[in-house]
Amino acid sequence: MDSGNNQIEKMQTENMPEKKSSRRDFLKNMSIAAAAGSAGLVVGGCSGTPATEKMGLKWEEYFKKHYRLMTQEEKDATVTRLERLAKLERGINVQISDQGPHEQVLFGYAFNISRCKGYMDCVEACVRENNLDRRTKTQYVRIFEMDPGQLDPSAGDGQYHHEVPVKNKFYMGVQCFHCENAPCIKACPTKATWREPDGIVVIDYDWCIGCRYCLAACPYWGRRFNWGDPEVPKDEINLNQHYLGNRMRMKGVMEKCTFCIQRTRKGKLPACADACPTGSRVFGNLLDPNSEIRFVLKNKKVFRFKEDLGTEPKFWYFMD
Amino acid sequence: MTTTSRKGFAAFISDCTRWALSGGVGYKIYLAALFALIGAGIYAYSQQFRYGLRITGMSDIVSWGLYISNFTFFVGVAAAAVMLILPAYILKDKDLHKVVIIGEGVAVGALIMCLLFITVDMGGPLKVWHMIPGIGLFNWPSSILTWDVLVLNGYLALNSLVPLYILYCNYHGRNPVGWKYKPFVFLSIFWAVSIHMTTAFLYQGLPARPFWNNPLLGPRFLASAFAAGPAVIMMVLIVIKESTHYPIEINIFNKLKKIIVVAAIINLVMLFSEVFKEFYTFTHHSLSAQYLFFGLEGHDSLVPWIWTAISLNILGTMLFAFDPTKCNPKYLMVAAISLFTGIWIEKGFGLIIPGFVPSPLGEVVDYSPSILEIMITVGILAVGAFVVTMLIKPALVIEMRLREQKTGSQ
Amino acid sequence: MSKFSYAAGLLLGALAAVILISQAATASGSPGSESVKDRIEQAIEPFDSLKVTTAYPLPVKTVEAKEQYQGGSFKVLARKDQITRFRCSVCHNDKMVKVRNGALFTHSDIQLNHGLGRNQLTCNECHAIENRDVLVDKQGGQIDFDHSYQLCGKCHFRQKRDWLGGAHGKRETYWAGERVIRNCTSCHNPHSPAFPTKMPATYSLPLDE
Repeated sequence: MDSGNNQIEKMQTENMPEKKSSRRDFLKNMSIAAAAGSAGLVVGGCSGTPATEKMGLKWEEYFKKHYRLMTQEEKDATVTRLERLAKLERGINVQISDQGPHEQVLFGYAFNISRCKGYMDCVEACVRENNLDRRTKTQYVRIFEMDPGQLDPSAGDGQYHHEVPVKNKFYMGVQCFHCENAPCIKACPTKATWREPDGIVVIDYDWCIGCRYCLAACPYWGRRFNWGDPEVPKDEINLNQHYLGNRMRMKGVMEKCTFCIQRTRKGKLPACADACPTGSRVFGNLLDPNSEIRFVLKNKKVFRFKEDLGTEPKFWYFMD
Repeated sequence: MTTTSRKGFAAFISDCTRWALSGGVGYKIYLAALFALIGAGIYAYSQQFRYGLRITGMSDIVSWGLYISNFTFFVGVAAAAVMLILPAYILKDKDLHKVVIIGEGVAVGALIMCLLFITVDMGGPLKVWHMIPGIGLFNWPSSILTWDVLVLNGYLALNSLVPLYILYCNYHGRNPVGWKYKPFVFLSIFWAVSIHMTTAFLYQGLPARPFWNNPLLGPRFLASAFAAGPAVIMMVLIVIKESTHYPIEINIFNKLKKIIVVAAIINLVMLFSEVFKEFYTFTHHSLSAQYLFFGLEGHDSLVPWIWTAISLNILGTMLFAFDPTKCNPKYLMVAAISLFTGIWIEKGFGLIIPGFVPSPLGEVVDYSPSILEIMITVGILAVGAFVVTMLIKPALVIEMRLREQKTGSQ
Repeated sequence: MSKFSYAAGLLLGALAAVILISQAATASGSPGSESVKDRIEQAIEPFDSLKVTTAYPLPVKTVEAKEQYQGGSFKVLARKDQITRFRCSVCHNDKMVKVRNGALFTHSDIQLNHGLGRNQLTCNECHAIENRDVLVDKQGGQIDFDHSYQLCGKCHFRQKRDWLGGAHGKRETYWAGERVIRNCTSCHNPHSPAFPTKMPATYSLPLDE
């Protein structure tokens, strides 16, 4: 049934004139129709009501492939289904991108520990940008208040809540470091997490089985689990989403910082770097000798967290 | 018995089912109690399925809890069947050969528990097909978890098919053909070691968790398994001896006792070695051990557990080592329960939780399982007990019949 | 029989070990293999970040900077349209300002706290006495408000070097596209340039609650 729908879609796409803008809309309508049709088959009754349409879409979603094995048509189809599901379930018009990486781009990050004042604007921006669960207060970015004489965030205080900056303290941010040699990728039994060509370590949420082995394998506590269904107030949901990024997660899957893939693939800074009022966060293309991040690596003394583990994080700390 | 003349696989299955379910009032009560526990577990799991794992006590810091603790422990119990298979088949030990089928039944029950624990621990149990090679993606050989899936299922197949074949032959009153099953028996010996080593590698291979990242973990898993597993088997044997007419000679207890003592002592030596390493030169990597044994930053929920476990460990070992009663079943039961409980706590809770505390970012939280989590766990334990009962009861009937046939014909 | 099985078992074990070790050697990126640092060092071809066409439009008014950085020219955020009472010469013309309490009404929000201890700056060390619409340096050179980095850099030359390269300050919204960076005065209040003390925007949940 599923493949039948795809065939119809393919036929129809081939017959379409080369008008890019209408092609996508057409696909959207087609697969909604197809989904409704299959829903009718599944439920064995009147197609067209939102409930049956929803069931049909979920049915097709359940049997879809791993993201990396999908053809472009299949990616478009699942994006259409997900957008339609968001409309049906939450009444919101999300736009889910499946934009791929740019060539000759490898993302890297540098954090200035002598500039950060611990304001945590980055944390707040990240929560809003990435539709993080408000109920359990999930945060990808964490800031540690540090005493002089130490450089290991695990010795600092990650739960401070008082006026900052405090005299004689400094602040250190941690998040997923997008390791080149990431232990989490190696651990995943289903290849649901991998490193994209531009260096971002991503998760196919629909492929993750929720075993949490990656969480145990991460030496930086860079991953979070959805213990329940994440809750975000409807009017706070960020509608600009990416399949591998900030689209709504579901219960029982892992999630993590994606360097705001929905922003960075479009040339924007990640939300944390954009929100930082002190300029402590430097983000850019490691393969571009003229980029800011390369200037930092070349001209500053940099270090990485737990370098001895050989994970090769693409996240460096530096001082003025 | 009236069914001696019946032949074929269908008859075998129906007879086994009948034998498994028939019994006295006490047996009926026992089964009813198991069903009640399983039912409660299913209810609790339905809640977890609906609301997600947030109904458990786990968090992003302690992300594995009671389920994975029990999984780890029962892999050991499953592997321990080898301590009966090895002497029975390779050393041709006549006594242990008589009870090897019971060991294999316990292994199957333990393995089913392991697979259930893994399943209930998963966030997306319906997506498990993503792991099946061909239609899903199987990250082999990179992920140790995929190795574990392979060895556990393989061991389950070996340990169910071999006894099934032997029982099937015995049911029809003939001896099993050696070449048809013995290669698999020998394979299962190596396989038993591999399931427990692989499960140890699951933890041992993570530099993110210094408490686990320890080359002694695998060997110690084996040693503790070869003490706790035979202790479980001994408990089952004592129950069988006390509640059925199946003859179990004192010699068998004696041999099991020796196995347990050797393994338990090796386990204690390794435990001492680990404790020495953690505390002689106290490093950052010893914080987990400090949390486990003494508490850290005011969090000390595991401290009473681990000291209870170590006390029970030593007590059980001592009871087995200096047995003044010369294998009195009641005495052995106390010793076995003591050792079993000690290792259960130490290798379950005491191994998994401190691996997560403090977190890689140095944060200390306590974990305590929720009521629903405990209900699910108890439900799975009941499933295990039920499976073991269902396997062993018909097996004993078949073996008894075969023995009667043999003595009758002589 | 049993010898054969021993051999078979050992063989299996050996096979498993070989697979594991080869796997470890290839996948784990052992210290000998190419590291990400090597890869970065070998990348010497500049990236044409203009080809990331989605990095437009620029969200704010900018001006072409009067300096060069490693990649050539760049832009900074315009300053003048952010200053509420610009242009200053509307009041500060060639006649004396005669409004009673004029300074109080117009400039009392300015708390001057720039410089350490006795080295506090005064107004006229940056503002030109003759022409209030521009800034002035110690040599008497006039500096446009949009290019205040030229003045700040006279003292804070280390910060300026970092700022030009990208280790100080920040880019506006995009990492790609045309390079637009914030001016000194986009982030720092020139009269009191140190960042203030305040409550954080949010907090991390105590983890065991």
